[in-house]
Amino acid sequence: MSAIIEIRDYTWQYLNTEKPALEAINVDIYEGEFVGIIGPNGAGKTTLALSMDGLIPGQYHGVKQGTVKVMGKEVDDYPRGQLQRQVGVVFSDPEAQFTAMTVEDELVFGLENQGLSITEIHERLEWVTELTALKPLLPKPPYEISGGQKQRVALAAVLAMMPKVMVLDEPTSMLDPISRKRIFEVLGRLKREQHNTVIVIEHSLENLIPLADCMILLSEGKVALQAATREFFQRIAFLLEKGVYPPEAMQFFYHLMQNGWYNGDLPLTLDEAAAKLETILMPHHSTR
Amino acid sequence: MNKTMLGYVPKESPIYAVHPFVKLYFLLIVSLFPMFVAAPEWNFLLLVFILALMVISRVDIRIVRIYIPVAISMGSIILISYTILGGRHPEFQVIFNLFGLPIYWERVRDAMVVYFRILPMIATMVFFLSTSRERDIIVAMRTIRLPFVVTYVFAMALRSAGMVLEDFQIVRQAEQARGFDPTGKPLTYKIRKYIMYMIPLFALSLRRSEEFTNALVARGYAFTGEASHVKRADYVLTHYTFKTHDAIFTTLITLAFIALLIARYGLHYFSLDHSWFIQWLHAVLS
Repeated sequence: MSAIIEIRDYTWQYLNTEKPALEAINVDIYEGEFVGIIGPNGAGKTTLALSMDGLIPGQYHGVKQGTVKVMGKEVDDYPRGQLQRQVGVVFSDPEAQFTAMTVEDELVFGLENQGLSITEIHERLEWVTELTALKPLLPKPPYEISGGQKQRVALAAVLAMMPKVMVLDEPTSMLDPISRKRIFEVLGRLKREQHNTVIVIEHSLENLIPLADCMILLSEGKVALQAATREFFQRIAFLLEKGVYPPEAMQFFYHLMQNGWYNGDLPLTLDEAAAKLETILMPHHSTR
Repeated sequence: MNKTMLGYVPKESPIYAVHPFVKLYFLLIVSLFPMFVAAPEWNFLLLVFILALMVISRVDIRIVRIYIPVAISMGSIILISYTILGGRHPEFQVIFNLFGLPIYWERVRDAMVVYFRILPMIATMVFFLSTSRERDIIVAMRTIRLPFVVTYVFAMALRSAGMVLEDFQIVRQAEQARGFDPTGKPLTYKIRKYIMYMIPLFALSLRRSEEFTNALVARGYAFTGEASHVKRADYVLTHYTFKTHDAIFTTLITLAFIALLIARYGLHYFSLDHSWFIQWLHAVLS
């Protein structure tokens, strides 16, 4: 199976900077995969997201080496505006993404740009508002709704365009835990029902891990680790060393492991950790 | 209640039965009426008519109260500009002297004419802003098939006005948090230190521009190239139908304007010579 996004020896340096934001990146992302990208601030996560959407080099000045191919075609070779109809990006600041005067206008803006008919736009609008529970907000100005609602609008605006690939750059960084959960619920539905290729840059690992098929760790502009999610988090010592703090349940089991009280796989979720703990503490009475 | 650009209007208001184009057309055409009417009483009647429309549209008429100080200040400025600062005109009729300055009848009359022309214009604008949302302007512009870019730039100009104010608040709060607070300081100090706000505001607006361009590109909007030639379906217009009563209103506004022009230039109505208010004022002041 060929990768939907294929990045080879990719280096990008912004103008007037001393070192590349991304260096010698090699990443393959396959159709239908849910990929989590993590890393400390300044690791190059946003630059990678912008590179996959063609906003780099399209909208930014800098020096590029290597290739970034989306659906087998180099991003530079797409006519202006075409790639963005295949790869949708949701940015971290929802306020900065609004281009219209009402939520409804915001949702249909991308669809009008795609040249869809009124009927198609209506159908997509119905679908996306149902998926993201935005129907009551349609007549409101997007800048008058709450932060969580804003980000759902931004997500829905991209979703409505039905891009083959969705890139979400820290979509929940400005949200409270409940709004964060709602965004991930939408992403979960996307994964289960639509089988979209979704790439999420995120610090909230508790929400990301249950959905991610594979994970990429960026550090100082380089791919420090790339693996299937379970395999990725088994390298917890390396992650901690790189400044990534996995969920506390996972760290707890890592402590048990270090003390020689546990030697299995590290649990990825709280439910998994509870089940493992039950097995450890009451091996003969486990309810699971 | 539905939010408008200048307040709130109940959902049951009859104004929602009117197509946005009619509202914009009313604003553009009726605002011109006072330009062709010199007699203040007619302009005053127009003002009353617009206030009545506001009542019918269930606009909270108390909104007008906030414009009273503005109207008084504006009237005073116009009057002072025309009389005290109006210069010396030996050919004009002196009605009295104020600290040695002659106050001419013609200048007082002209000040009244100008003032009563401006009042209904402002009322028309207040009526429009009180009953319309930003989207209505866009719909109205798109109804007459203005190019998408024009309507979009206009919409963003409206939106950016709000954003600049928000950014200004952010900058002001950030600077207050760092100990810079010109509250209570002399005006000259505030003017000198205004640069403290302008530089971060300018930097913020540059960042906003970049983010906004990214958002437009990410939504598949192309300024140039093949993708920019896509035929856009105007989904927003599907919510609005130009009904028979809209056509009747538009025709009435047009006919009223034509009638006004004929009355003014054909029949010489609405001139100062026929104004009973001016004649009364002249009698009082003379």
